[in-house]
Amino acid sequence: MLEARSLTKTYNGFTALDSLDLTVGEGEIFCLLGANGAGKTTTINLFLNFIAPTSGSVTIRGLDVVANPLETKRYVAYIPETVMLYKNLTGLENLAYFAALAGHDSYSTAELRGFLEQSGLPNEAAERRVGTYSKGMRQKVGIAIALAKHAESLLLDEPTSGLDPKASNEFANLLRTLRDRGVAVLMATHDLFHAKETGTRVGIMKRGRMVASLETDEVGHADLERIYLQHMHD
Amino acid sequence: MLLRIARKEFCDISRDGRFRGSAAIVALLLVTATALGWQSWQEIRREHDRAQAEAREHFDDQGEKNPHAAAHYGLYLFKPKPPLSFVDPGVDPYTGVSVYLEAHRRNEVGNRPARDATALQRFGELTAAAVLQVLMPLLIVFLAFPAVAGEREQGTLRQVMSLGVRPSALVAGKALGLTLALALIAVPALAMGVGVLIMAGPESARTWPHALALGTGYAVYLGIFLAASLAVSALARSSRVALIVLLGFWIVNAMVAPRLATDLARRAVPTPSAFQFAEAIRSDIKAGIDGHDPEDARLERLKRETLAKHNVETVEELPINFQGVALQAGEEYGNAVFDRHYGALWKAFSGQDSLRQWLGFAFPTLAIRDLSMALAGTDNARAHDFAESAEAYRRDLVKALNRDLEVNGADLGFMYQAGPELWKSMPVFRYRPPSLGATLESLRLAWWSLLLWLIATTGLVRLSTRALRVD
Repeated sequence: MLEARSLTKTYNGFTALDSLDLTVGEGEIFCLLGANGAGKTTTINLFLNFIAPTSGSVTIRGLDVVANPLETKRYVAYIPETVMLYKNLTGLENLAYFAALAGHDSYSTAELRGFLEQSGLPNEAAERRVGTYSKGMRQKVGIAIALAKHAESLLLDEPTSGLDPKASNEFANLLRTLRDRGVAVLMATHDLFHAKETGTRVGIMKRGRMVASLETDEVGHADLERIYLQHMHD
Repeated sequence: MLLRIARKEFCDISRDGRFRGSAAIVALLLVTATALGWQSWQEIRREHDRAQAEAREHFDDQGEKNPHAAAHYGLYLFKPKPPLSFVDPGVDPYTGVSVYLEAHRRNEVGNRPARDATALQRFGELTAAAVLQVLMPLLIVFLAFPAVAGEREQGTLRQVMSLGVRPSALVAGKALGLTLALALIAVPALAMGVGVLIMAGPESARTWPHALALGTGYAVYLGIFLAASLAVSALARSSRVALIVLLGFWIVNAMVAPRLATDLARRAVPTPSAFQFAEAIRSDIKAGIDGHDPEDARLERLKRETLAKHNVETVEELPINFQGVALQAGEEYGNAVFDRHYGALWKAFSGQDSLRQWLGFAFPTLAIRDLSMALAGTDNARAHDFAESAEAYRRDLVKALNRDLEVNGADLGFMYQAGPELWKSMPVFRYRPPSLGATLESLRLAWWSLLLWLIATTGLVRLSTRALRVD
């Protein structure tokens, strides 16, 4: 589904991403771990074609994202660290708008409410303007947008940072549900615990390079933390 | 997709308290300006009609007197206030609205409200044209500067673009949504204007095409500001930068350009002061156009020629009244002097006007000002046309009176008297304004500059959306 081959991005001589090779298949959750500036967000921006690769290729469903910027976006949903919404519109209106822009203009209000419900947004909140929403509620609208889009893959950029443990946990459960439906997930995160719990694989990134890649089944929590810290200290 | 974006944009903006407040203020100002403009149009037209009729009545009721005395008695003419002047009173307050016609003299069109007003009035007059030319663009700038830059800063642009939306569709949708919101502001005043034109009767029927052209002009003008705002918003580093750039554009257009154009025109094509001008005419009539043909010599020559023509020795033997001949000859000499001086003056004015028109290519506000005044019938060209038409009427009137003196007053000299039948037989003044075609033709430069600005700014929008940065 999501594939990067020798993907490199440099800015004026600074290498933000150095020959990254990465494949995320159906039903996989790939977690990118690493400090700030390790190249996690750069990777996600490259998949969204928000920036152009210096060399190498990025494909979604086998389609090159630079050559097919509009089509490749139809198959992915993106949830940033903080989902930004139009504060003068209600949660429901925001969802309807984003879904329509994604090409799904025919949802009934009941269907849209259904997506919000699945994402765990309290029913009464749907009709309120988003200006009053907490961060957790915004993230839930973000998930509802992804659900409404029927995206085959998700690009998540630290989606749970700043969420309370309960919200974070709910988010992880939703991801598992989506994984079981065959969605491919690429998630940048700082949260080793959730990476181990929900991820199928983790990649540790440092200064633009992926320095380690492991199956989460094969390591314990303590091992993962040890390996991570070892790489950070080098 | 486009409509969906437009609908969201409209919905979003119409829930914004700042928009509601400013839109209500501008809509109210526009309605007030239209209502006041209309009321004063009606009042002034009624007054003019009455004054013009009265002046003619007084002229007709002069009783028995010498026709030349009647020519001295004179007549007041009023420049008809065109119906669309309620949108744009133009230069009427500066160029005057009435003229006093009399023998020997070509009077300036006078009665200029601006002369009695303080400098404050320049800024203070509330007209629909001022609201449309100055306030609406400002409102557009405030509404549209965050259109792209603001979404970029908030991060919503990233999310929208991650959905696979074509950038050009996004910006076009925003333009449509904003246009709807702005149209909402103009609707009350527009409805009022249309209603007023319908109620105004047959006179206004003639102005529908003008009104349509005027509306088109303003739509293009405001479209330029909208397109410029969207393009700058898409290109600017931040919404702050976008706002500063756009406010600069607005200030230069609405505040600086009109004063700059007036001063530049005055410097480039100087015109004489009113005193110099009147003095030059007086001395040309007295001493002759070349300065060596004084009035007495001209009169003496005319006398010799007239006597020779009729083959007689003395004025008393002439079969006509020599006073009539002499007066008309003096009149015609004066007219030649007037033509010379006024010709030069009008040429200078039209030089200033055309300089301003060319400056319209640099500043669209100058172009719309020209267009608006011309279509409302309140520009310099119309003032000139009225002055010329009044002068032509004056010449006909004085000539007809002198002719009567010449033909019928043969042996009575200045003792000859005519009566009300003669006064009543004089033609009635009817001002025929230039046709729409001629007006549009004279506005070629203004239309072109507005059109080029629209093409340039929409082109810039397209260019800016080709590679829209998300952050």
